[in-house]
Amino acid sequence: MSVRPAPLARPAPVAGRPLSLRGLLEREGAFSWIMLAPGVLFLLAFVAYPFFYGIYLSLQDRPVARAGVFVGLANFATLLGEGVFWQVTRNTFVYTLVTTVLKLVGGLAMALVINQSFRARNLVRAVLLLPFIVPTILSTIAWMWIFDPTFSVINWALVKTCLVSTGFSWLGNATLAMVSIIVVNTWRGIPFYGITLLAGLQTISPDLYEAAAIDGASATQRFWHVTLPIIKPILIIVTMFSVIFTFADFQIVYALTHGGPANATQVFVTYAFDLGMSGGQLGMGAAAALTLLPALALVIVVLALYLRRE
Amino acid sequence: MTTRREFLTVTLAGGAAAALAPGRAAAAPKSMSVVHESSFIKSFDDFFVKKLAPDYEKMTGIKINYEPVSVGSMLTRLTTIVETKSGPEIVHTGINWPHLFDQGLVDVSDVAGEIGKKLGGWHDNVHDAVVVNKKWKSLPWGNIGQLENYRTDWFKEVGVNKFPDTWEDLLAAGRLLKKKGHPFGFELGHGFGDNHGWLYPLLWSYGGQETDKSGKTVTIDSDETAKAVDFCRRFYKETMFEDVLGWTDVNNNKAFLGEQISCTNNASSILVVAKRDFPEIGKVTDHALNPQGPKGRFHLLNVQGHAIAAHAPDVAAAKAFLRWLYDDKQLSAWLTAGDAYYAPFLRAYDNHPMWEQEPRNLPYKESLKTSRLHAWPGPPGLAASESVAKYVIVDMFAKACRGDSTKDVIATAASQLKQIHKVK
Repeated sequence: MSVRPAPLARPAPVAGRPLSLRGLLEREGAFSWIMLAPGVLFLLAFVAYPFFYGIYLSLQDRPVARAGVFVGLANFATLLGEGVFWQVTRNTFVYTLVTTVLKLVGGLAMALVINQSFRARNLVRAVLLLPFIVPTILSTIAWMWIFDPTFSVINWALVKTCLVSTGFSWLGNATLAMVSIIVVNTWRGIPFYGITLLAGLQTISPDLYEAAAIDGASATQRFWHVTLPIIKPILIIVTMFSVIFTFADFQIVYALTHGGPANATQVFVTYAFDLGMSGGQLGMGAAAALTLLPALALVIVVLALYLRRE
Repeated sequence: MTTRREFLTVTLAGGAAAALAPGRAAAAPKSMSVVHESSFIKSFDDFFVKKLAPDYEKMTGIKINYEPVSVGSMLTRLTTIVETKSGPEIVHTGINWPHLFDQGLVDVSDVAGEIGKKLGGWHDNVHDAVVVNKKWKSLPWGNIGQLENYRTDWFKEVGVNKFPDTWEDLLAAGRLLKKKGHPFGFELGHGFGDNHGWLYPLLWSYGGQETDKSGKTVTIDSDETAKAVDFCRRFYKETMFEDVLGWTDVNNNKAFLGEQISCTNNASSILVVAKRDFPEIGKVTDHALNPQGPKGRFHLLNVQGHAIAAHAPDVAAAKAFLRWLYDDKQLSAWLTAGDAYYAPFLRAYDNHPMWEQEPRNLPYKESLKTSRLHAWPGPPGLAASESVAKYVIVDMFAKACRGDSTKDVIATAASQLKQIHKVK
């Protein structure tokens, strides 16, 4: 015989009396919705509406300042037929995958280091967070000077130390330009990983490390068999966020190279911006931006399923 | 005594008139807003804010708000204004934007006609940029020319006392200068102006063009284009260095003022900054027209103007302000404050005293005769903007300089242009 749990006692509204605000707030269901409402409204206004409007635009031939004409998937078909689009796709994936791996490794190393006890630890933590705190556009302008052929501090150091006779063309060479934007994105993104993973590391009980040490586990073994399994869920969540942010990164590429030289660093968001805002093709621009969607959705679904299984 | 019938007639007629012309029926606005891309010439912006706007307020009681937008961002701002139908009612336009935003801008033909009549008429080529379907959609105040900026002392060092007249002669001078450690630096990256500023004129001067006049036939795949591409590759390899492939608009200014390059294509802002901050460089900097090729000499047309957004609550008041602003008394003083950075299209200003302040700017005035819009000789509409936004011509040249074959880069450009112009 199954036993159903007794329902939570809830005061029934008195028949014939209007429900007061206090009474409403005491009802768990109503209270939950009241608390959720600001967030939901915010998401509807600033995420859902632009998203669905973007889909609506992408299905139209919609020049700026003119009425749109429904064209179905024609914008997507046009994009798929462009050589530049495939170059943009390749660039976006290379940019995202390489920076994600670098940020993951760098961020984990940073978290492990700043989790140790040493003098001036708090100061070091604060300094390491700076790249993430400084507005992206400001730090990118600083990087512009670092990569500038005339004023590059990297080139100056390389030439002065006699490692090279002439400086590198950081933003003029197609490969180095991609390397440059990857370096800047990694520099900026590592603290996000570092501080989030540090929070995870601090939840690990020292008893576990002590027990492992007593069993004879080396530092490496403690990392692989104690640390990593415990922070794995955080690692996955932070990676998921990072992939989404990097896919949609605009400021670094736009300010440093604007997609050049010859589209060598053009990514989806900068290309969509150029098409929509500079080219006046709002429908095509929206379509270019939305081509990100399947890849991002796949990442989210895979990671969400993995987390659920865990 | 007014009869009931007369009263009703007058009231209904007045009401109908008010309904048909809401702008006029309402009282004069308390304020209006003008959105402008920040000028490279600070005194130009300052003159508007400190002199023109207060003068107009004193005269009419209407406050004029001035909203500056950072350089290179005006197109984005204009897009948001026109799309959302909100924001400043008087907007800054450039290049071919009156064509792009045609339906979001008010017809100002009447004001243009009056100004032209008072100030000697408009230059012919300005019509291509601002007249859409026979209606003036913007009132031009000047052109930002893209010309050759060069170091006279270094050119003299290699025996070149006069700026070369042809691209081949400029290449010859550049070879000598590069050997001396003074390379050229012409932008080939994804900037917004200094790349198009010399690459379109180079293409045209060899006889190449994106499309025919109708825009229905893509004509980029031609021997003339191939010659321009081949020349550009030699010009890059023999006079420049790899960085220019990734340059945006700030880089050539920095390189020139950092004494890294001896020649570039730019507006007159380099000289303005040099005179102010690097006087020694200012003394040895000069301007010249773009060199000519086998098919002539060309420059890029970049018409700066004011338009009235269609959502303007009081179009008549906005027109009245522009009428006042373009009156000789105001416009002449404003252009003078701009250090001849803007070459006006009004014939009465062909010999304006502002040109005497700095004779080195005279080539910018002279260049108006040979200036064309990006898509020339094709139509300057949406397809032209898409081609510019996709850097079709810039990347065609840049890829050739990087090492791709002439045939391949032209084929890619032709394929892109066919897709943009929706032709086979």
